[in-house]
Amino acid sequence: MIELQNIRKVFNEGLSSEYIALHDLTLAIAAHQVTVLKGPSGSGKTTLLSILGCMARPTAGRIVLAGREITSLPERFLTDIRRQTFGFIFQHYNLLKGISVIENVMLPAYPQGEPFSLLKKQAADLLKLFNLTHKAAAKVEWLSGGEAQRTAIARALVNQPEVIIADEPTAHLDTRLSREFMDIMRDFKAQGKTILIASHDPIVHESEVVDRVVQMRDGRIIDAGVI
Amino acid sequence: MIKSIEKQRNIIDFTLSSLWRRKGKNLALLVVYTLVVFSLGSVMFFTQALKNEAAIILRGAPEIIVQKLVAGRHELIPMASAQTIRAIRGVEAVKDRLWGYYYDPIGRANYTLMVPEGMDLKENEIIVGAGISRVRQVFRGNALLLRTYDGRPISLFIKGILSPESELLSSDLILISATGFRRLFGVSGDDATDLTVTVLNKKEISTIAAKIVDKLPDARAITRDEILRTYDAVFDWRAGIMIAILAGAVLAFLIFAWDKAAGLSGEERREIGILKAIGWETADILQMKFWEGTIVSLSSFFLGVILAYFHIFYASATLFEPVLKGWSILYPEFRLTPFISGYQIAILFFFTVIPYTVATIIPAWRAATIDPDVIMRT
Amino acid sequence: MRKSDGFLLFIGGGILLLAAIFIQAHFVTRANLPLFQQKAEVVKSLGLTDLCLSTEARYTRHLSQSDWHAAFQSHPLALDHFPIGSIIGPPETLTKPHDQIH
Ligand SMILES: Nc1ncnc2c1ncn2[C@@H]1O[C@H](COP(=O)(O)OP(=O)(O)O)[C@@H](O)[C@H]1O
Ligand SMILES: [Mg+2]
Repeated sequence: MIELQNIRKVFNEGLSSEYIALHDLTLAIAAHQVTVLKGPSGSGKTTLLSILGCMARPTAGRIVLAGREITSLPERFLTDIRRQTFGFIFQHYNLLKGISVIENVMLPAYPQGEPFSLLKKQAADLLKLFNLTHKAAAKVEWLSGGEAQRTAIARALVNQPEVIIADEPTAHLDTRLSREFMDIMRDFKAQGKTILIASHDPIVHESEVVDRVVQMRDGRIIDAGVI
Repeated sequence: MIKSIEKQRNIIDFTLSSLWRRKGKNLALLVVYTLVVFSLGSVMFFTQALKNEAAIILRGAPEIIVQKLVAGRHELIPMASAQTIRAIRGVEAVKDRLWGYYYDPIGRANYTLMVPEGMDLKENEIIVGAGISRVRQVFRGNALLLRTYDGRPISLFIKGILSPESELLSSDLILISATGFRRLFGVSGDDATDLTVTVLNKKEISTIAAKIVDKLPDARAITRDEILRTYDAVFDWRAGIMIAILAGAVLAFLIFAWDKAAGLSGEERREIGILKAIGWETADILQMKFWEGTIVSLSSFFLGVILAYFHIFYASATLFEPVLKGWSILYPEFRLTPFISGYQIAILFFFTVIPYTVATIIPAWRAATIDPDVIMRT
Repeated sequence: MRKSDGFLLFIGGGILLLAAIFIQAHFVTRANLPLFQQKAEVVKSLGLTDLCLSTEARYTRHLSQSDWHAAFQSHPLALDHFPIGSIIGPPETLTKPHDQIH
């Protein structure tokens, strides 16, 4: 599904603060599986996810998405691909304050120009799925931690992406909510979605939903895991 | 096509939600901005309407007015000067005008007394302007008590009131007979206030005016064109009333300074980052900012222009009234005719909507081009 | 209703009102033309030279006839000669002695 070939990411290239965050990584991620990136803080998980999700460009190397080389595409196309292929769940959820839950969920789809009524129905369906219907009109700052997370997940799904990318999704959740999150991931997997999670939380990488654990350290893969 | 319209509507939806979050600030901005457009628009409508009105009705003004000057002041001119002017070739007719000012201590107002030509008035009869009738509460059939130059009271019988439609011209006028005028002010039969000259060939007005001044070195000649030009330029940007415009501009500048000087707040930057991270392009962000500027400035524009229109043409420019009245007691009441042009509206649009919208987009430019991955680390 | 529809409706209303204003202004101006004719007649028959905008001083009453030495600058803030345009009042010499001038 996604292939990384000799991916290298250098921050502050040429400066004294130059830092190599990823050292010539090569990795293939299979479709319809749950892959977890595991590793200590600073090992390059977030950097790798952002490159996988077309948010950042690698300094060197190639990315092949579903057989298509996408590294050299201009921003417009890359954004298009990102919007249609990936759904992101951020560590701090990154919901927009001051606007309603349902609007937050609809936001990623706005630039697509879908008919509004359709969009609204999709978002409402997602909220229903996550038991958030009663919160649809509420402002996001009024949500509890679990509700905020489910809102963030709903938002990641509104464009019906094939791939879900989650960075440290359980970092701010208690055990019950963390397990609930993995249950949701199980449902996604059952629906045939490809799931990529960066986490060093045992609840995540020890979960039976996970197909493969990739271990990282200092910008290198030390164990690619079993496919 | 439909998609891109739908997309813009989506973006407007979000922008409105986004503006509504800071509704206090944004509503204040809207109000102040509306005020700027309103004051600029009011000044524009008002001056344009007055200029147009003056240009049309003052076309009937005398072609040349000859006034005698003594030590730099306008003085009575000897009727004999008329003969000198008549001798100039190209002059069709010379008439003497009698007019002057009267300060009325009772009404504490200034009147303009004028001797009309070809109007049948007896020595103690007058016709007064609507403003005088209002200030002194005198009407047709009443008497108006004035004092002559040597302090004797005289009672003048009001034969009629000038029509209120012409107040912009005649509000403070007292029309009086020549004998009455001379008796009131002690002007001898040899003198007139000034002379008006009619010229055979209208193209030669200025040539003849020059000839008159040549023949009468102590006189000045004012041509009709000069009068018309006076009123065309009277409300130019240096005129006092334009302070209102400048104040508006300063106000507008303050809004810019207030709203934009700090550029984008950290919160706004973060939001742009989130939008990019969830799949908005740089262009989408800029479109959002475009709508943000447009929503505020366009709303203010419409509100301001429409309010200005009603203010000037239906509320008799109430807010300018103190400015127009100044220190006078007698002031005309008039309703201006709405001369408005697309050009004025366009100017107003370009000076209000465009700069604000641009000023909203530009600071967002840099923020919009950040890499979306930055947000993954916040 | 969608928020954007509300806004577009508002702008549409604004455009319509503006158009209505133009049309209305056009008709009022046309209807007033005879009035202008009348006023121009008054100007012609009385030999008038100025608009009666302000009667506060003789150089504001008869702007085009004012003396070269008229006290046009009535306040430092008055950017030009028109005292009615300045916001702060002229000095006493301008407000009081009208009767003496004449
Ligand atoms: N924009 C940046 N500039 C410089 N260094 C960076 C930047 N982003 C990340 N890094 C560095 O790259 C390394 C990997 O970071 P990250 O991918 O966030 O690791 P992880 O998510 O595994 O904790 C860290 O040492 C971090 O300091
Ligand atoms: Mg990380």
